[in-house]
Amino acid sequence: MVTAEAALEQVVRQEWGRLVALLLSQFRRLDLVEDALGDAVEAASRTWPVDGTPDNPAGWLMTAAKRRVLDRLRTEEVARRKEPLLLIDAAQHQEVARTMADAGSLVEDDVLRLVLMCAHPALAPESASALSLRLVLGVPTADIARLFLVPEPTMAARITRAKKRIVGAGIPFTVPDAGVLPERLETVAQTAYLAFTAGYAPGTGPDLLRADQAGEAIRLVRVVLGLRPDEPALVALLALMLLQHSRRDARAGGGHLVLLADQDRTRWHHDEVAEATRLLARPELTGPLTPLAASYVLQARIAAEHATAPSAEDTRWDRIVGLYDVLLQVVPTPSARLARAVAVAEQHGPAAGLDALEGLDVPESHRPAAVRAELLSRAGDLDAARAAYDQAIAACRNEVEKAFLVARRDAL
Amino acid sequence: MKYLVLLIGDGAEKPWPEQTETEQMAAMAKFGAFDAACREREGVELLAGEALSGPGDATVMRTSGEGRVALTDGPYAEVIEGMGGFYLLEAPDLDVVVELLRLLPPYDIQIHPTVDMS
Repeated sequence: MVTAEAALEQVVRQEWGRLVALLLSQFRRLDLVEDALGDAVEAASRTWPVDGTPDNPAGWLMTAAKRRVLDRLRTEEVARRKEPLLLIDAAQHQEVARTMADAGSLVEDDVLRLVLMCAHPALAPESASALSLRLVLGVPTADIARLFLVPEPTMAARITRAKKRIVGAGIPFTVPDAGVLPERLETVAQTAYLAFTAGYAPGTGPDLLRADQAGEAIRLVRVVLGLRPDEPALVALLALMLLQHSRRDARAGGGHLVLLADQDRTRWHHDEVAEATRLLARPELTGPLTPLAASYVLQARIAAEHATAPSAEDTRWDRIVGLYDVLLQVVPTPSARLARAVAVAEQHGPAAGLDALEGLDVPESHRPAAVRAELLSRAGDLDAARAAYDQAIAACRNEVEKAFLVARRDAL
Repeated sequence: MKYLVLLIGDGAEKPWPEQTETEQMAAMAKFGAFDAACREREGVELLAGEALSGPGDATVMRTSGEGRVALTDGPYAEVIEGMGGFYLLEAPDLDVVVELLRLLPPYDIQIHPTVDMS
């Protein structure tokens, strides 16, 4: 027998996005739906432990949330103030009326509409990420704020602004034509990946890494993949995220970052590595791919090389360099060149790595200088290494990484 | 929803005066295709659309708190320096507008909903 608290937590975790989507379809009021659902959950947390968990917990929350929205609409009626409505098409609206009559069955398409609306290309990427976590998954605003390393009121304001912009700019709650859908799903993938990488941008103190929050981004991809199971960019992205996430417990120790080579590999989540390996073998990934999907596949294959190497010394650097060579043809970005140079140094020694770094500049980033410093020190050119560390330290904006660089320099 | 669509810059399109006659005809054909697509699309209506004369002909009007009017030569800001034309378009949503605008030459375009006063 599950407790009422556990039942509520489970239904919120599993059904939040569907409830939001259905309420939006019916009322088209992006400004009311989330609060109404929040109030319903709060009411449930008070009444379920006393009255027992209802037979249909999602239906109970839906009914309670609808009542809240209707209360608000009545108040507005009295005040003669009408807020603008979210745009949906007429046929969809009729369909919703039918669905609502049958409260038990919830429509998958509504969740897809919600996902596409939250990750719309007309929204700023970070707003789209935050909004997706909030509306599709019901992640608390405080947790989203922690993920992006901003104060909670800042994040709350950002989410409110994004909702206003959706209604104001005319971003619709619809599924676009099949011709545009793959492109839009790629924006969804980028939105989820942005949330994921935010969790691995080093913060300070207990927030050094925010792996739990980053894990929510994986959940977001799983939800979308559940709706569009064959989308190559989503399959590849899930594999990539799982591989990176599998190292979470080994990445931070004693308040500082632990580099890949120094990590305790028994603390990696090998079940997640296995799932990612299965995903990478899926037939959808062998056909022609868009540049984004191809770049996710290649990055995932590189991560898989690391994840399946028995020890740091056994890493197949030749294969990793080869994968980076292909990646650079698909997305010739400075950060991919930098990563390739690191792999080249591992395979052929620091001098070859320094050659591969030649002429590379990543604007606003301390990383090229940090890598150059490390390779120079391995090559025994300590004066040049010290100068490169100074340069990296001056450019570094993150306190944790800066402390790490200072320690490396002072240890020369 | 009504949208004011401002063609604010040449973007990836070669500037009109530099285009060959064939290129100009191809660009005109794209405007024709856009018109036709708007006519055919349910819920879409092209309410107005004009090409604008060169930015040097534009005038900015500013009125001070005391009601004094100041006119300045040229367009308002750098972003609309090259504004070449506009449309006023009734359309169901932003996605439909973007879909239709893809038929035009690849200008930089600002899409701005109007306020419904009714």
